[in-house]
Amino acid sequence: MSTNHRFFCVFIANLVLLSVIVIPVFAQGKKAPAASETGKALYNDKCAHCHGVEGAGDGAGAANLLPRPRDFTKGLYKIRSTGSGQLPTDQDLFDIISKGMPGSSMPAWEGILSEDQRWQIVAHIKTFYDGFEDASPVEIDLSGKVPYSGESVTKGRELYKQLECNACHGAVGRGDGTSAPDLTDEWGFRIWPANLEQKWNYRGGATTEDIFKRFIGGIAGSPMPSFISSFRVGLSDAESARMTELEAKMDSDELADAEQTEYEGLEEKLYAFEDIMLKVEEGEEPTPEEKAKLDVGMKPIFEKSWHIANYVKSLGPEAIPQPAIGDKVLRAQYRPGDLPPIGDEAWNTLESSYFPLVGQVVIEPRQFNPSIDSVTAKSFYNDKEIAFLFTWDDRTKTLPQADEETAEILEDAIAIQFPVKVPQGPTEPKPYFIWGDARRAVYLWHWKVSEPQKITEMNAKGIDKATVQSAASQVQAEGVYEDGRYRLWVKRALTTEDKNDLQFESGVFIPIAFSGWDGANGDVKTKRAISTWYTFVLEPVPSKKRFVYPPLVALISVGVLFALRGAVQRRENGNNI
Amino acid sequence: MKRMPLFTKCLILFVLLWLFLKFVIGGIISVPLPSSLIAMYLWLIILAILVHVSVEDDRFREFLRPIKETLADESKKVRRTALFVLIPLVMLGFTFSKVSTRADPPAALRTAHPAPPADLTYRDKVIGTSQEVENPFRHLEKDDAEAFRVHVENGRRVYYQNCFFCHGDNLDGKGHFAHGFQPLPANFQDPGIIPNFQESFLFWRISKGGPELPPAATPWDSAMPVWENYLTEEEIWEVILFLSEYTGYRPRTSGEGAH
Amino acid sequence: MKTQVVSIIALFIVCYYVGAAGAAGKDEAVESLVFPASYKVVNVANGGTITGVVKYEGDAPEMKKLEITKDQNVCGKTDKFEESLVVGDGNALRDVIVYLIDISEGAGFSEDKSVKYEIDQKGCQFLPHVNLLPVGQQLTMINSDRIMHNIHIFSNTNKAYNKAQGKNRRKMRLPKVKKAEGPVPIKCDVHGWMQGWIAYIPHPYFAASNEKGEYKIENVPPGTYKLGYWQAACGTNKDAPVSVTVEAGGTVTQDLTLALKK
Repeated sequence: MSTNHRFFCVFIANLVLLSVIVIPVFAQGKKAPAASETGKALYNDKCAHCHGVEGAGDGAGAANLLPRPRDFTKGLYKIRSTGSGQLPTDQDLFDIISKGMPGSSMPAWEGILSEDQRWQIVAHIKTFYDGFEDASPVEIDLSGKVPYSGESVTKGRELYKQLECNACHGAVGRGDGTSAPDLTDEWGFRIWPANLEQKWNYRGGATTEDIFKRFIGGIAGSPMPSFISSFRVGLSDAESARMTELEAKMDSDELADAEQTEYEGLEEKLYAFEDIMLKVEEGEEPTPEEKAKLDVGMKPIFEKSWHIANYVKSLGPEAIPQPAIGDKVLRAQYRPGDLPPIGDEAWNTLESSYFPLVGQVVIEPRQFNPSIDSVTAKSFYNDKEIAFLFTWDDRTKTLPQADEETAEILEDAIAIQFPVKVPQGPTEPKPYFIWGDARRAVYLWHWKVSEPQKITEMNAKGIDKATVQSAASQVQAEGVYEDGRYRLWVKRALTTEDKNDLQFESGVFIPIAFSGWDGANGDVKTKRAISTWYTFVLEPVPSKKRFVYPPLVALISVGVLFALRGAVQRRENGNNI
Repeated sequence: MKRMPLFTKCLILFVLLWLFLKFVIGGIISVPLPSSLIAMYLWLIILAILVHVSVEDDRFREFLRPIKETLADESKKVRRTALFVLIPLVMLGFTFSKVSTRADPPAALRTAHPAPPADLTYRDKVIGTSQEVENPFRHLEKDDAEAFRVHVENGRRVYYQNCFFCHGDNLDGKGHFAHGFQPLPANFQDPGIIPNFQESFLFWRISKGGPELPPAATPWDSAMPVWENYLTEEEIWEVILFLSEYTGYRPRTSGEGAH
Repeated sequence: MKTQVVSIIALFIVCYYVGAAGAAGKDEAVESLVFPASYKVVNVANGGTITGVVKYEGDAPEMKKLEITKDQNVCGKTDKFEESLVVGDGNALRDVIVYLIDISEGAGFSEDKSVKYEIDQKGCQFLPHVNLLPVGQQLTMINSDRIMHNIHIFSNTNKAYNKAQGKNRRKMRLPKVKKAEGPVPIKCDVHGWMQGWIAYIPHPYFAASNEKGEYKIENVPPGTYKLGYWQAACGTNKDAPVSVTVEAGGTVTQDLTLALKK
C-alpha cells in the first residue's frame, strides 16, 4: 500500500469520526458559554434600554411598548422548543436574539452582533433567573411530523373547533374570539391573541414546527396554554367515546355502580400515562418501559397536534403582502354598467392592494401600540361613479363606549384621505400626510361602526382642524363586521359640484392615505393607526389607438427600409458608372 | 483568422453597455435606473460610437460597408429578407406595448438633505447661526469625560423612549414602524449620514421634523415629528451625542468643508 | 482606566433607573405567607387546638357583580361576584388563611388517603376560592363545566403552569409542587373573571376560614406561637402577629377581626 493511499484512508477515517462527534453536537443545539463581563457589557449596550439592567423588562424604552420587553427574572419565556412549564434551551434563547420577534419591537441581531457575541448575551440573560442553574429542559419531540396535506388541514380545522381554539383566536383565526378582549399577560398588561392569518407577526416564526411547538409547549407568561393536556392520553378512540358517554350519565346522576367502576378504570388508565408525562416534565428520567408506554400513548396526540399546526399554517398568506407601490399600486378597474355592491362576486376578481398602517406617533396623544396592522383596497369605476371595497382586521367590534380613564367615547372607525386637489407634477407638495396642513387641505371619508351606512365627508387642514362638510353627504357606504374583519364599501360620483371634494379623473395618480381607530385599543382622535401617502389611479380604458398606431409604424419602417435600399443601390450604380 | 467587421464590434460594444446599465448598475449594485434615463444613455452611446467611427473617412466607410451590403448586395439576399421582415415586426410589437402599457405612478422627488436656514431656532428662540452653533456638550469630551458620558447616556434614554420605534434598536433605520413609512427613516449606521453634517444641522432636522421644513425642501412626506414640541434643547443635543457615540461616526465640524 | 470603566457602569445603572422610574409594572405585589426556614417533622402527642372565628370590621362593602361575557349557558346560570372579600352573616369572613408563623417543629401532613386536594371549576368559578396544598402533593383539577378552561397558575418560585383543560378532561392532575410559596393566583384566561388562590404549604399548621368565619388548627405541640393571617383584600399581619399559647390537649380560642388593607 502506498504512503499516499494510506494517508488518504486515515484522513477519510478521521473525517468520518469527526463528523460522528460533531454532528450530534450541532443537532442538539449549542450551549451558552459561562456568563462573563463581556456578555454583561454587550447586554447593557444592546439590550438594557428595553429589558432593564437587572433584566426586569423595565428599561427606558419599555413604557411605550406592547408587547412589553420580556422580564427575565421570572424565567418565563414565550418561545421555546421545550414542553409546558420548562425553561428554554440555550439554543432557543440564541435563536430569538438572532431572529428577533416579528410583530414586536424585538429586532433580529443576526448580522449586527457576531455569533459569539450573541452567545455571550445568552449567558448573561440566564443570570437573571436562578432556575437556569439546575435546569435540564426537555425538548418537544418533532419526529412524528405529519406532512402538510389537504386532509391534514381538514382534520386540523375540526380539532381547532373541538379544542375551542376559537375561544381566543376566533372562528377563522383572526384573534377575535370571545375571550380576546379581556386577556392580560403574567404582568397584568393587555395582550391580544395572535391573528393567525398574519403569519409575519408570529413572534416565534411561522413554520409548521414553530406552530406545533407553541401548541404543545404553550407561550409562557401569556394566556396561551399548553394544549397537550386537552387530550385523553393513552385511551383509544372507542375508550374515549365511552368515557364521554359515562360522563354524560354522571352529569344526570344516572351512573350505575358497575359503570362507576368502569369509569374509574378508564380514569386510572389515563392517569397511568399522564403520570409518566408529568414525570418527564419534571425532568425525571422515565424507565425504558415507561418511555415505551408513553411513546405509544403520545403518538395519536402528536399526530392530532400536527394536524392543528397544518391547519394554522393554511391560514392567510405566507408572507406579508407587498405594499401598494410600484407594480402593486391600486388600480381602479373600468366596469361598464352598475358598479357591484358589497357582497358581489365581481370583487373577487380583483387583487387587493395592501396599505400598512403604523402608530400615529407625531401629535399628542400618540398611539405607540396600534392594533390595526393594515388596510386593503379594491376599486371599480364606470363613466359616472367609483366604488371602493376596503377591509381591515380588528379583533373586537367596539360600538361607542366611554373610556374608563379618559371618559372619551371610543369607537371603531376609519378615515380615507385624499388631497382636495391632486398635486400637478412631481414637485408640487401633497398636503401633510396627517390630515393636511394650513396651506393644503385634505378631503376625508369618515366612517364609524355606529353608523355603518354613512360616510361623513370632511375637510381638514391639520389633525385638529377638521370640518364636516355642510352639504348632505354624496357618498354611499355599507360597512360589515365579520370574524374579526371589517369590510367597507363606498361609492361616489366621479365628479361633484363641491369645490372641497376631490374630483376623480381617469389616468391621474391620486394620493390616498388612511387613519384607523380600534376603540378597544383606546384609539380616539389623534390616537390612531395611520398610513403615509400612497397613490392610486383610475386605470384608463385601453385606447383604440393600440390597433391603429402599431401597424402604421410597421408600415413606415418597411417604407424606410426600402427607401434606404433604393438610395444605396442608386449610389452603388452611380459609382459604377 | 478573419478580422471582425467594425460594425459588429460597435454593435457588441453597444449591447455590452446596455447590459451593464440594465443589470450591473440596476441589478447587482441595485440602483434601478428609470427606463427613460437608460434610453438617454443609450442615445449618447450611439452618438459616441458614430463620432468615433466617423473620425476618418476610411473607417466610416468600413463601418458602413456591412450595412450597405445588407441593403443592396445580391449575395446578402437571405439576410436582407430576414431583416426586412424582422424590423417591422419588432417595431409593431414595440409600439403596441408602448401604446397599451399602464402608466407608472409618478416618482416622488425629494431633497433628502435640504439646506438649513441661516438661523438655528428652538421653539422660536434663536440659538445662533446654523454655521456656528455647536453642541454645548461636545467640549466635555475633552474636558470632562465622565460628565460627557452622563450626557451620552441621557441621549440613549431619549433615543429609546422616542426615536427607536422608527430608527431602530441598532440605529439602522429598521425600527418596527419603519415599514409603514416612505421615505424610510434615516439609517444612522450609513456612513453617508452623520459624517456629512454639522451637529447644528442634525439639531435642526430633529427639532423641526417633517412639517416645519422650508418650502424648498418639499414635497416632503417624512413622518419625522417636530421634536422641539416634546424634547428639551438639552435632550436634543444629548441624543445627537448618543447617535455619534453609538455609531462611531463623528458629525462634521464647522471648520471642515461642505460635502 | 479601571475606575473610569466602573464609573461608566455606575452611570449606566443610574441612568436606567431614572429612565425606568415612570415604567413601573401594572400588577400589584401580592403579600405572601411566612414560611419557616426549616421544618422538622416530629411525633406530636397530646397536641392542642387553636380555633376561632374571623370577622370583618365594619360594614361589608357591596360585592361587585361579575360581568359574564361568554358561555352564558354554563357560566351565567347564577349571578357571580368578585370574591376577594366575602363577608357572611354576623360579619363572618371567608377565605382567611390562619397559620402559625414561627413553628419549626411539629407533625407531618396527614397520611389519610381520603383527604382530597381538588379544585372544581363549576359554573366558571374556582371552588374553593382559597386552597391549601401541601408541598409534595398533587392537585387535581375538576372540570364540571364540560367546556374548555385553562389552568394558569402564577407561580414565581415553583414552575409556571398554564395548561388547557379541554371539555373532555373531567379531571386532571397537576405536577407535584416542590417549594412552599404563595398564595399564588390561579386564573382561567378563557373566562377572565375566574380567579382563585393556592398556597403551597410546608407544614400542616394552616387553616382557611369557612363561610361562618371559623378556622381550626389541630394537633399543635404545646408552646407559644405567633398566629398569622392572610386575606386577599385585607392583607396580612406579618408585622404584628397575635401571640397564642397552646397547652397540651387544650383548646385556645383566638378570634380575629380584619379590616381592608389601607
